[in-house]
Amino acid sequence: MNEAATYDLERKTRVQKIVRMVFLYTMLTLFAIFVLIPFYWMILSSLKTPEQIESVPPALWLRFSEMQFSNYYEAVFSVDSQPFLRYMYNTVIVAALSTAGTVITTVLSAFAFARLNFRFKELFFLLLIMTMMIPGEMFVITNFITVNQLGWVRPDQTYWDALMAMSIPFMTSIFYIFFLRQTFKTIPDELYYAAKVDGTKDFKYLWKVMIPIARPTIITITILNAMGTWNAYIWPQLVTSTRHGRLYHYQLVSNGLRNAFSAEFQPQIHLQMAAAFMVTLPILIVFFLLKKHIMRGVSRSGIKG
Amino acid sequence: MLEQKHNIKAWIYLLPALVLLVVFTFYPIVNAFILVFMEGYRYIDGTWTGWTLTGNIRYVLNSQLFWDAMRNTLVIVFVSVPISVIISLFIAVWLNSIKRLQGTFQTIFFLPYVTNSIAIGMAFAVIFNRDFGLFNLILGLFSIDPINWVGTGASWGRAMTALMVFIVWNGLAFKIIVFLSGLQSIDKQYYDAARIDSASKRRVFLKITVPLLSPMIAFITITSFIGAFKEYTAVVGMFGENLNPGGGGRNMMITIVGLVYESLGQVYPGATSEAAAAAIILFFMTLLLTLFNMYISKKRVHY
Amino acid sequence: METIQIRLENLTKIFQQKGKEETVAVKDLDITIPAGKLIGLLGPSGCGKSTTLYMISGLLRPTTGKIYFGDNEVTNIPPENRGIGLVFQNYALYPHMTVRQNIMFPLENLKFPKEEALNRAQKYADLVGIGHLMDRKPKQLSGGQQQRVAIARALVKEPRVLLLDEPLSNLDARLRLQTREEIKRIQRETGITTIFVTHDQEEAMSISDEIVVMKDGVQQQKGEPQKVYDKPNNMFVAKFLGNPPINLFEGRVSDGEVLVGEMKFGTSKGKAQEVMVGVRPEGFKRVKQGGFEVHVEFVETIGRDTTLIIRNPLDETKTFRAIIDADERVEADSKVRLSVKPNKMFLFDKESGELV
Repeated sequence: MNEAATYDLERKTRVQKIVRMVFLYTMLTLFAIFVLIPFYWMILSSLKTPEQIESVPPALWLRFSEMQFSNYYEAVFSVDSQPFLRYMYNTVIVAALSTAGTVITTVLSAFAFARLNFRFKELFFLLLIMTMMIPGEMFVITNFITVNQLGWVRPDQTYWDALMAMSIPFMTSIFYIFFLRQTFKTIPDELYYAAKVDGTKDFKYLWKVMIPIARPTIITITILNAMGTWNAYIWPQLVTSTRHGRLYHYQLVSNGLRNAFSAEFQPQIHLQMAAAFMVTLPILIVFFLLKKHIMRGVSRSGIKG
Repeated sequence: MLEQKHNIKAWIYLLPALVLLVVFTFYPIVNAFILVFMEGYRYIDGTWTGWTLTGNIRYVLNSQLFWDAMRNTLVIVFVSVPISVIISLFIAVWLNSIKRLQGTFQTIFFLPYVTNSIAIGMAFAVIFNRDFGLFNLILGLFSIDPINWVGTGASWGRAMTALMVFIVWNGLAFKIIVFLSGLQSIDKQYYDAARIDSASKRRVFLKITVPLLSPMIAFITITSFIGAFKEYTAVVGMFGENLNPGGGGRNMMITIVGLVYESLGQVYPGATSEAAAAAIILFFMTLLLTLFNMYISKKRVHY
Repeated sequence: METIQIRLENLTKIFQQKGKEETVAVKDLDITIPAGKLIGLLGPSGCGKSTTLYMISGLLRPTTGKIYFGDNEVTNIPPENRGIGLVFQNYALYPHMTVRQNIMFPLENLKFPKEEALNRAQKYADLVGIGHLMDRKPKQLSGGQQQRVAIARALVKEPRVLLLDEPLSNLDARLRLQTREEIKRIQRETGITTIFVTHDQEEAMSISDEIVVMKDGVQQQKGEPQKVYDKPNNMFVAKFLGNPPINLFEGRVSDGEVLVGEMKFGTSKGKAQEVMVGVRPEGFKRVKQGGFEVHVEFVETIGRDTTLIIRNPLDETKTFRAIIDADERVEADSKVRLSVKPNKMFLFDKESGELV
């Protein structure tokens, strides 16, 4: 290798590196735009007048003075609209109920699987894991019959009935039990032995030692479960549906959103998008506040598979 | 002493979850297989008129709606999953090889995971609008005339294309973040070793990254296939309850799960058993695909 | 195989981490490594020896300074084009490939014809003695076998330089002895310029043609192992080489005599000053008369050596060691007379630690 060759090689390497970086950042930026466009278009459309929505070609941005913030007011309060605040309220209640239930049942059973010995433990655990492979629609059919027979879904359904029907079937989750058990398993046995030697009762050990150590996982479970309720559509639609002559106002946000302003030939897109953004915003806020917990939880839930 | 069996105590801890699981998971699985053999079952009062071995399954297999649902579901499964797995793998690899702005990009790419499918589906429907949608505007830059993607009277192929874009968009976030954390858990030394061994970037990707990531690729592929088999909410988000472009008409974009809910919503005798039949067909299809995937993984995946 | 000399010129590496102070890992290193020799880079952890190795490999870029392979500067050449083989501390064998695939990987990258690649892989596998394990996966091999696969993979493309990062640190004591001889043999047979990094002075001294002792990123001394041992430049080198370590005493030079307390250790032509006196354990000898009298606390006899653990007269709480012939019987808790062999005593400046 003579000096000229060395020089050429150096330059080639440097050029290659720059080309690579330019390529990487270009692709990633393009992809980021692809990811962000639906959000942008949603917000943009929610601030347009009906005329601007229908204008061809569509405006790609708006001046501040053009923005119709009143769309949001109208989406929430207009006479014709669905009772949006009511949906949000329902959703928060259902999310709180099902999340509280899920966390309690999950913590207790994950503790039993991680820490206690009992007959049929392995067998039972295997059964749970196998159940995770079965599509949820298999359960939904019978669950629908069950909530009907429990009297929660009747033409004269009360608010309480609706809340029960929407939350109780979701008060436990095999996946979260499995997820939390993995975290509990990482707590060294010695801590348990030490606590036992000191005469600590199992429940106190769970409460004072395991739960604090597993706090990040429990927080993750809480967030993911609450987000699940916020995004739940199918089941609430089924058990509070107008198809059976009941009223809309027991439904959750996702249902309200889908049914709002969507008259077949006259959809009010500006209000639709305002409502869509109001449904999107709370989860985005939660996400940015608890980004670390959510992203770590999700990536870990993938890894262990 | 410390590790003795705590039979009763353990079951007390398990009890709350167990009761719920028995009522809302285990029993329903068994019951689905009972329902499918019942004739004229009415969920309102729980009565039925008789038994049939294959009647419900046959009824479902003979309906045009089932085959529409089957076609749509299979297209979603076999088109959207490979596309999104491959795209997310590349994005994750690219993301993993930059330093500056990595966190920002990662956060942006994760956003689709924390959104409401209905809300975003509706936004996609606006983007794909024939007259004032962004997508046709962009196509217009390449002198392509406006196409009716999701409006009333849109063809199946176009509606499906738009739906596919949305489903791929929706599914990338999870895959990217899982792949990325998988990539980050690969020992850097292998990449140093590969540089010393003069491997090109392409060969590093094919010979080092992909094999070392293969357990995760297998996992993502299996779960994505299962997820795609169950696709329904995205269709509702984009096309509304009637599962049809433009919101009117009925069920052109129906999926198997859509069929289950469609039947479940009906009150005529036997409708519930038809839902059970559709769900059981779905179950066996996912089972078959999962077993096939596992068989392939055993041969090809490095653990 | 072409052998080349390696020259490092003013090599400096500064690590700058976000929000932290910069750390100078390697500072102004000037070393010439002769062609075809086996060189040990030696020093305690954090001394910059591995950083130096990785700069030679090209995996790290020096902050300033230059690296020459033969007459060519390679400072900005990426590792894949440098023609080097590197054995990683943890071997970094690709876990999903068989031994054969691991060894052939570099050849496939260089687009060797299949037949030739296979033959070469077999040749080098045989050279390192794992030719019969070609179809195993790394996980099915012992640590020593993995080590050999890593060496074969590094050698198979017949590089101009072989670099080894702590090659023996992951092996148990018995394998370590065996493997270090193996490395020496392979280096002899191939004649390749080889640099290896270690924190174990015994390891470096036993197989290197030359050693380079480093501390805090700065080269302390370079030379043949025995010469460095016999003539350390400074107190650090003296302390780092040798096991059991050298004994150090606070002493002084006055009127041409080296005194530790009241004991006369030897003579010196240096000016009168306070000094640190270093004496290797084997630097003491027992004498019938003359020398100085010390109190022996314990006696350890291991094989051919007897080690006396002696109370330090300057500080009752400390002891020092003297190694004498095992033939001589010494009782614990007794007095003996010792003198110091003149060539085993070193005087260091109290402040700088440099040899006086």
